[in-house]
Amino acid sequence: MISVKKNNIEGWLFVSPLVIWISLIILVPIYIAFELSLFNVKIIGTSGKFVGIDNYIKLFGKSKFLNASLNSFYWIIGNAICQTFFAFTIALTINYKFPGKKIMANWIILSFIIPTVVVVVIWKLMLSSSSGVINSVLIDIGLLDEATGFFSSPNKAFISLVLINSWRWSPFLALIILSGLNSINREMYDASKVDGANFVQQFLFITFPNLKSVLFVLGLVGTLLSFNIFDIIWLITKGGPSSATTTLPLLIYETAFTKFRISQAATLSIVTSFLLLLFSIIFIKSMAPKEDD
Amino acid sequence: MIKENNIKLIFLSLSLLLIILIFFFPFFWIITSSFKSPEEIIATSTTIIPRSFTLEHYNKILFNSDFFIYLKNSLIVSFSSMIISIILSVSAAYGLHKLKFYGNKFVEYSLLVTYAFPGVILLVPIYLLFAKVNLLNSYFALIVVNVLFATPFAVWMLKAFFKLIPNEIEEAAYIDGASRYIVISRIIVPLAAPGIASVAIFCFIISWTEYLFASILISGDDLKTLPVGLAGIVGQYQIDWGFLLSGAVLASLPVILLFVFIGKYFVSGLTEGAVK
Amino acid sequence: MNKILLFFITILFSLNAYAVTNVTFWHMEGVPHRVDRIQTLIDEFNSANPDINVTQEVQNWGEIYAKAPASVAAGTAPEILVGIPDFTPILADMGAAQPVEDFVAELDSKYGFYQKALDQYTYNGHTWAVPLWNMGLSLWYRKSDFEAAGIEPPKTWSDLKKAAKALTKDGVYGIGLPGNKQLYTDQTIYSFMVNSGAEEIYNSDGTLRFDNPQTVAAYDVYKELYQYSAPDAANWTWGEAEACFASKGCAMILQFTVISTYDSQAGGDASDLGVIQIPHANGKAHRAGTVSYVNSAMIMTADEAKMEASKKFLSFLMEPGNYGRFINMEPGLFLPITEAGSKDSTYWDDPVVVKYKSQVETMLDNSTRGSLFGFTNGNTFTSISSISAQNLLAQTLQLTLIDGKSAKDAVSEGMEIMTEAIE
Repeated sequence: MISVKKNNIEGWLFVSPLVIWISLIILVPIYIAFELSLFNVKIIGTSGKFVGIDNYIKLFGKSKFLNASLNSFYWIIGNAICQTFFAFTIALTINYKFPGKKIMANWIILSFIIPTVVVVVIWKLMLSSSSGVINSVLIDIGLLDEATGFFSSPNKAFISLVLINSWRWSPFLALIILSGLNSINREMYDASKVDGANFVQQFLFITFPNLKSVLFVLGLVGTLLSFNIFDIIWLITKGGPSSATTTLPLLIYETAFTKFRISQAATLSIVTSFLLLLFSIIFIKSMAPKEDD
Repeated sequence: MIKENNIKLIFLSLSLLLIILIFFFPFFWIITSSFKSPEEIIATSTTIIPRSFTLEHYNKILFNSDFFIYLKNSLIVSFSSMIISIILSVSAAYGLHKLKFYGNKFVEYSLLVTYAFPGVILLVPIYLLFAKVNLLNSYFALIVVNVLFATPFAVWMLKAFFKLIPNEIEEAAYIDGASRYIVISRIIVPLAAPGIASVAIFCFIISWTEYLFASILISGDDLKTLPVGLAGIVGQYQIDWGFLLSGAVLASLPVILLFVFIGKYFVSGLTEGAVK
Repeated sequence: MNKILLFFITILFSLNAYAVTNVTFWHMEGVPHRVDRIQTLIDEFNSANPDINVTQEVQNWGEIYAKAPASVAAGTAPEILVGIPDFTPILADMGAAQPVEDFVAELDSKYGFYQKALDQYTYNGHTWAVPLWNMGLSLWYRKSDFEAAGIEPPKTWSDLKKAAKALTKDGVYGIGLPGNKQLYTDQTIYSFMVNSGAEEIYNSDGTLRFDNPQTVAAYDVYKELYQYSAPDAANWTWGEAEACFASKGCAMILQFTVISTYDSQAGGDASDLGVIQIPHANGKAHRAGTVSYVNSAMIMTADEAKMEASKKFLSFLMEPGNYGRFINMEPGLFLPITEAGSKDSTYWDDPVVVKYKSQVETMLDNSTRGSLFGFTNGNTFTSISSISAQNLLAQTLQLTLIDGKSAKDAVSEGMEIMTEAIE
C-alpha cells in the first residue's frame, strides 16, 4: 500500500540521482583540496613537500586570515540585515492590491536576473564621481557639497558593496517570502481582524510564525550563499581599498592565483568550509522548525 | 479605523516610491544611457533625460561582435541546467520530505555541504578533474557545475513548499487509489507550482549569470557564454562605455523576454495563493 | 572499383588531416575590432601555409593567471600564449614556456629589437618569449588648458605640482591619478619611481632594495599630487582615467594612450592633444623615463612540429607589411619594438596614426626610455611575479593614500610585505 510514511527503497530511489551527481562533482575536488593542504605546492601542477598540518598551524597567526574572517563576518551580518529589511518591505508592499501591482510583482526581480557583470557596470557608472548620476543628484539636492568616491575609503567601500549586493538579492528573497505569504490561509487574517488585531500584531502572530519553514531555509542557505559571494566584490573593488573588502573567498582566490600558493589556499578553504559547516550545524540545531510527522 | 487606513496608505505609497526609485530607476538609466552619444555618457554633468540619441553602440554589439553566439550558448546551457535541476531537485525534495527513509536527515543536511565550500577552491580541482575525463570546453561541463550550485538550495526550498501542502490531501488521494506518480503530477506539483516556478527561475538565473567557472572551463570562442563575452569586451586598457552599456542591456534582454512569457503564470500563482 | 577509390581518397584526406599542424594562439585582446584584425592576419597565414592551421582563442585578463597554469597542469595549454613580463617567469619555471633565444636572435638580425624590449624577457641565461609590442606611459594634457592657465607643460616634479594645482578648478581635477590596488596604479607609481632613480627594486642577489630614499621621494610626490585627483580614483583602472580625461573632468592623466577615446568621445581635435615625457624629479633629468610593458609571445610546446609551426606564424607577424597591421589592431595603443617595425609603412599609414602623428612619435620616443620593475639590468627573479600579481607597489601606495601613513612608513611597511611575499 502506498502511503506517506516510511519507505526506504522508494525514498532512496527518488533521492539518489541528485546525491550521485553532487557526490561526484564535490567530493572528488574536496579530496584534492584536502590533499593539497597537506603539502606546500605553490603553482598548480608543480609538486611540493609533504608538510602535514603545518599549513593549518601557520594559518591562525596570519593577520590576513583574521582580517578576512572579520570582514566575512561583517559581510554576512550586513547583508542579512539589509536583505531582510528590503525583502520584507518589498514582499509586504506587493502583497497589497494597488494599480500596477501585477506589473511590479512581475518585474521587481529584474535586479536578480541580470548577469553580475551588468550589476557591476550599472553601479560603477552610477556611483562614479566624475560622471555618475548618484553624485550629481545628491549634490543638486544639497546632501553633498562635492562628489564623493563611494569606494574610496574602507568603510564606504564596504557599505556600498553590501548595499549593491542586497539590491541584487532582495527582490528574489522578496518573491520567495511572497509565495510563502500567499500560502498562509486568508481566513486566519480575517478571523484575527474580527478579534481586533492591528497590522503589527498580525505580522508578529500570524505572518511570521507561518513563514518559519521558508525563513529557516532562507536564513541558512542565504547566509551560506552570502558568505560565498565573490564576483561582485572582486569585479568592483578587488578586495580593496587596503583589504577592507577582502572576505575569505577573495583571500582564497588571491592566495591561489595572485600569490601562487595553492596549498595555502587549499588550507584556507578547508578551514573556511569547516567554519561554515560548524555554523550550519549550530543553526540547524537551534532553529530548525519542528518536523510534523 | 480610518486613521489606521490612512497610515497604511502613507506607508504603502512611500515604500512604493522608494521601491520604484531603488529597483527600477537604475534600469531606466542604463537603457537611456545606452542610446546616448559617447560624449554624453562620460560627461561630467549627468543627464537623466538624454540629450542625444544614437544607435551606434547597438550596431557595434549586434553586428560587430559575437553577441549572438554568446547568447545561443547561454540559452542552451541555462535551459538545460534549469530542466535537469528541476527534475533532480523535485524528485529529491519529494523523497526527502514525504518519504521518511533511513538516512533521510543525513542526506538532507549534507546537501548543505555544497554551499560550505566556496566556489573558488572547487575551481582548480574541477578543472583538473574535467580535463582528465575530457569534459573541458563543452556545454556539459557548465551544466554539471550549474546544477551542482543550484540544486541544494532548490531542494531545500521545495521541501519547504511541499511542507505547506497538508498531508490530508495526499492521504485522501492515496485512499482513492491513486498511484505515486499521479499524486505527484496531479496534486503535489500543481499545488507547489509557485514554489517550483521560483526555484526554476533561481536555477536558470544561477546558470545565466555564472561567470567564474564559465570563464575557466571554456577556452574556445564558440562556446563562450554571455557574461564571459561581456567581460571580455571590456578591453584591458580602454573601456568603450557605450559598447559596455548596450552589451549590458542586451545581455539582460533574453531573461527579460523569458519573463514576459512565464512571468504571468508565475505571478498569478504568487498573488492568489497556492492552497485553495 | 568505386569502393577502392573511395578508400584511397579517404586515406589521402586523413593523411592530409594528419599533416596539418594545429596551433592555438591565446591572447587577451578581446575587443571585437582587434579580434577581427588578428583573424585577418591568421587567415592570410593559413592560406599561405596549408599545412598549418592557426586558431585564436581570446581570454580575459582577469582569469588568465589562473587559467594558464591550470591548462599546463591539465595538458591543454595553447601552443602560443601572449603575456606580459611578470607572467613569463612563472611559466618558465614550470617548464611550460620554452627558451627561444635562437629564434629571437634570428628575428633580431632581420628586424632589430630594441634592447630594452629584450631585457624584459632575458634572464637565467635564456630568452623566454618573443617580444611583440610595447606600451609606455606618458603624460597627456590639452594644450588649450595650459595656455589658459599660463603655464608650460611640466618637466620636473615641481612643475608638475604647480600645474596640477593651477588646473584644479571649477570641478575639474588637475591630475587624474589612480589609487586602486591594481596594475594601472602599479604602473603609475613605478613611472614616478623611475623618474626619481628608484627603478631598480632588486639587488643582484635577489633581495629587495625597494626601501630607499628615491622610492620614498616618489611615493611622497604621488601623495601630494593625489589630492588633485578625483574622489573615486581609489577605484580606477585605465578606462576610468581615460573617461575622466575625455570628458574634461581631468586636466592631466598618465596613460599609455588616449588617442582612440579622445578621437571618438572627446571631439578629436588633434592639434589640442598634448603628450610629453612623464616629469622627472628635480635635478634628475638624466633619469627621465617611464614604465614600459613589452607584450610577448611564449611558445608553450616542446613538440618539434608545433614549435616550427608556431615560429613560422610569429615570424609572419613580425614581418614589416604584416607587423604594422598587427599592432594597429588598436591604432595608437601598441608601439613597435623593432627598428624595422618602427619604419613599417603599414604602421604609419593607418588613418588614426596619420592624424595623430606627432603624438605617436612622442609616445614611441618616450617608450624607448621605458623600464619595468623587476626586469631591469638583468636583475630578474621569478619572485617578481608574486609582487606584480598582488599589486604590492599599489598596495604600498594605499598605505599612504588611504591609511594615511607617511610615505616613509608606507614604503618601509611595503618592503616587509614584499619580502614576505617572495619567500
